[in-house]
Amino acid sequence: MSGAVDKIEVAGFRHFFQSESGPVQATSIIDLRIQAGEFVTLVGPSGCGKTTLLKAIAGFIKPSEGRIFCNGRPVTGPGRDRGVVFQELAILPWRTVRRNIGHGLDIAGTKPAERDRIVARLIDLVGLRGFEDRYPHELSGGMRQRVAVARTWAADPDVILMDEPFAAVDAMTRLTLQEELARLCATTNKTVFFITHGVEEAVFLGDRVLVMTRRPGRIKAEIAVPRRTPGGRDWESFTADPEMQAICEQVLRLVREERGATLVAGDGASVVPAA
Amino acid sequence: MSIATTANAPPQAFPSALSAVLRPLKGLRIVLPFAMVVAIWWAIKWHWALDDRVLASPAQVAIAALQLGNRGILADYAATSLRMMGIAALISALIGVPLGFAIGANRVVARALEGTLRFLQGISGVAWLPLAIIWFGFSDTTKLTVVIYTLVVPIIVNTIVGVRAIPENYVLALQSLGASRLRIMWDVYLPGALPSIVVGLRLGMGYGWRALIAAEMLVRRGGLGDLIFGARTFSQIDRIMVGMVLIGTLYIIVDRLLVQPIETMTLARWGVLRK
Repeated sequence: MSGAVDKIEVAGFRHFFQSESGPVQATSIIDLRIQAGEFVTLVGPSGCGKTTLLKAIAGFIKPSEGRIFCNGRPVTGPGRDRGVVFQELAILPWRTVRRNIGHGLDIAGTKPAERDRIVARLIDLVGLRGFEDRYPHELSGGMRQRVAVARTWAADPDVILMDEPFAAVDAMTRLTLQEELARLCATTNKTVFFITHGVEEAVFLGDRVLVMTRRPGRIKAEIAVPRRTPGGRDWESFTADPEMQAICEQVLRLVREERGATLVAGDGASVVPAA
Repeated sequence: MSIATTANAPPQAFPSALSAVLRPLKGLRIVLPFAMVVAIWWAIKWHWALDDRVLASPAQVAIAALQLGNRGILADYAATSLRMMGIAALISALIGVPLGFAIGANRVVARALEGTLRFLQGISGVAWLPLAIIWFGFSDTTKLTVVIYTLVVPIIVNTIVGVRAIPENYVLALQSLGASRLRIMWDVYLPGALPSIVVGLRLGMGYGWRALIAAEMLVRRGGLGDLIFGARTFSQIDRIMVGMVLIGTLYIIVDRLLVQPIETMTLARWGVLRK
């Protein structure tokens, strides 16, 4: 209970989906606090409800139970205080790179000169110089995600929510994008909530890694990652660091336990109707 | 280096020389089938020695076209038809596009109206002529009613398809950038649905043109349908055929020079592929 208000506070969150055979529980009760400037990653097996949690924080879905606050104000819907980077298909194909990145600023009514300055800076930061006037279909998957990231950063939200943003790009590009994101966060000091099913990605990027159980998921463990020196965040030094590798192993073990459990539960469920 | 260029030169030179030869043939490729149709028409006329009151020869039709053209009759009738088509297309777009958006914005409404729209598509515009004549008499209103009805249904249907095909993430991303409903309509729905709307307009123009000619034959107040139906009374075969050729030619001009360029422009520029 420090004096500062948490950027994000999730209290007693629980969610159910309506399906044809009645309500399905997506998550168990989740409590979560994210402080200003923190980079929090959340790992969990697929279907554990991590995207549900992110959507609720973004305001895309109304929680069945519990409350969510951003800067101490209750979340009632999507808003420009919470930027979202999606896995794919979220930048507009009919806008150029420049116009996509500046979109949030246009909406906010930023003066053109100011907007152009911010957009130019971000284009440099994400390495898209020379591609300003291209349309998304002329770019590679990795470049498109750079545009999506830059668009969210340009709008300058209080919190940035990222839903497996690099899952759809190839492995080599992903490594580069992760390093760029780490550098971008170090330069801009943004608050980020990042969900993934990649253990190494979670440890590499996060100041704090949260591990979720299988569905209906809850947060079962929280591992602090000592902050590496800004600028020195790259995969070579990360993989060479025994402390980081130890944390990766620890997180991997926690996630693997859930995979095993999922398998058992799956078998059990399939046996019941047959018997 | 020099070896590489000489090695590369012949295969490059050959296709360019070939395409230079083929370029004039490209125009020929379009004209040739027309020439064949005319040839077959002529052959039929000669082979069966058909009377001029049954089938006019291409030469007779060409002479009739020149005569009618010189007296300004063709231009007058054609202008009437084109003006009707233009007014109908404009009104149809003004009615169909907003209606398509209103229906497409809601999945439940879109599904519910699918059957009704298909039912209406089944009743061709021409089938409305008896009722339209009873209601509005032999007037321009009758013609417009029939053509607008024919045009508006494909525009509505394709607008719905376009709106429904827009990825939800586009909308969610913009909400997270703080966009209002109006802004999302303007920045996402309108450009996103535009290629599909243009496809609908293009289809509608094809159906509408045919419906217009049919309506003009019954209503008889100018237009190319009136021209050819009136010529029937005096067995002016050449006149009928001039009208038919002009009907086809004008449709190609309207479609190729007006509608198709808009379609290719939006599709190619944005790289939006329609499935």
